[in-house]
Amino acid sequence: MVLKFYASPFPVAGGGIVALALAEKQAAFDFVPIDLKTKEQKTAEYMALNPFGKVPAINDDGFVMYESRAICRYVDEKFAGQGTTLVPKGTKERALVEQAVSVESMTLFPPLDKVVWEVVVKPERGLAPDQAIVGKGLKEISDTLDVYEGILGKHRYLAGDDFTLADLVHCGYLPFLVEKGVDIMTAKERPNVARWWNELMSRPTWVKLQAEGMKSTV
Amino acid sequence: MVLTLYGLAAPLGGTATVAMTLAEKGIPYTFVSVDLQHGEHKQPEFRKKQPFGLVPALDDDGFVLYESRAICRYLAEKYAGQGPTLIPTELKAKALFEQAAAVEFANFEPHARAAYNEGVLKPHFNLPIDASALNTCISKLSDNLDVYEVILGKQRFLAGDEFTLADLFHVAFGTTLAEAGCDLMTSKGPNVKRWWKEVTSRPAWLSVLNSGIKTTMCEDDAFKSGVSEP
Repeated sequence: MVLKFYASPFPVAGGGIVALALAEKQAAFDFVPIDLKTKEQKTAEYMALNPFGKVPAINDDGFVMYESRAICRYVDEKFAGQGTTLVPKGTKERALVEQAVSVESMTLFPPLDKVVWEVVVKPERGLAPDQAIVGKGLKEISDTLDVYEGILGKHRYLAGDDFTLADLVHCGYLPFLVEKGVDIMTAKERPNVARWWNELMSRPTWVKLQAEGMKSTV
Repeated sequence: MVLTLYGLAAPLGGTATVAMTLAEKGIPYTFVSVDLQHGEHKQPEFRKKQPFGLVPALDDDGFVLYESRAICRYLAEKYAGQGPTLIPTELKAKALFEQAAAVEFANFEPHARAAYNEGVLKPHFNLPIDASALNTCISKLSDNLDVYEVILGKQRFLAGDEFTLADLFHVAFGTTLAEAGCDLMTSKGPNVKRWWKEVTSRPAWLSVLNSGIKTTMCEDDAFKSGVSEP
């Protein structure tokens, strides 16, 4: 049975990260949309897949798992012989990828999550963004990107000269800000970050995913 | 040549997480204390090792690494042949480990850290506690631990029946919860309580608590502090 991939039908957030990884690995899958508006992710049927009641999840011929970054790693190993290598095999190279992946989830994501909540989710619910929270969050993100500027001056991608999981995970949430007209990724003061971001946003797998959306390969 | 660990000599946070892993694997190391109180971690000299100005950092004979979880993964892999296997190697077992490790940083750490900041750090600096904020993070943590209670009723540890880094990553912030006035790790349910007791009773953690985070003189020393036999 082909891998079943459960997520919200928009190529964003955790589902978007997994969709991009599946595309990078040229992996076949059957896409099953989960309707967050009706809280389908909190139904007993879905929570049998992910007891935390969050998307995405996969069911690979009976092997069920959740958490987008964990799913990406599984897909990378299972389809090791094809597509892009998302996590390298060498111990030191792998460690540098893990380091950069950890920076994204521990340092960049917390303020980013807060800002996305204010500028994307609240307006959808008819609520006004709290500009103080937005301002504070954007400052923290900007400070982190200042460090990325130094890192990306030394090599092409975050963990070295090859695209890896460390770069891929940044495609889940930062595009929300860009879409809202927040210029943070292409700011002139950070030419290396802008160069890197433009490379990510021009990747054929990313462009295709955004153009065609989440759909089964079979 | 020996490893050098840079960080805070206290049984909490990332430095303690790495120290516990070093003890689990019986790896000798040199410890260099970073003076957080006087902002040493934000100075240009330290930022050469850790450009984000955070602790810990590891220097393995010139190979410098930061982010405690990345450092622990590196140690688990490099020293796979000694001490407990902290990351499984088989495809599906490893995937379930990755899932549990992701749950730690997505569903546990943010709320545990928020509880620590609100309930322990603020009083330490004589700042008033925001009771509503503290209750919010404890409530979120409680909801997530309800799921842990179910998972740990089916298997001994978070990734399966073997102890892995996914369990270890919980220790250094989990143990600060009691100080923040949150007893969830022992009151949530019998399964979480059983697991928490097992994980925090490991000799490697007890050595961090009792002997502290410090330079180990030789491999025998490292083994005595952490694992039961070389």
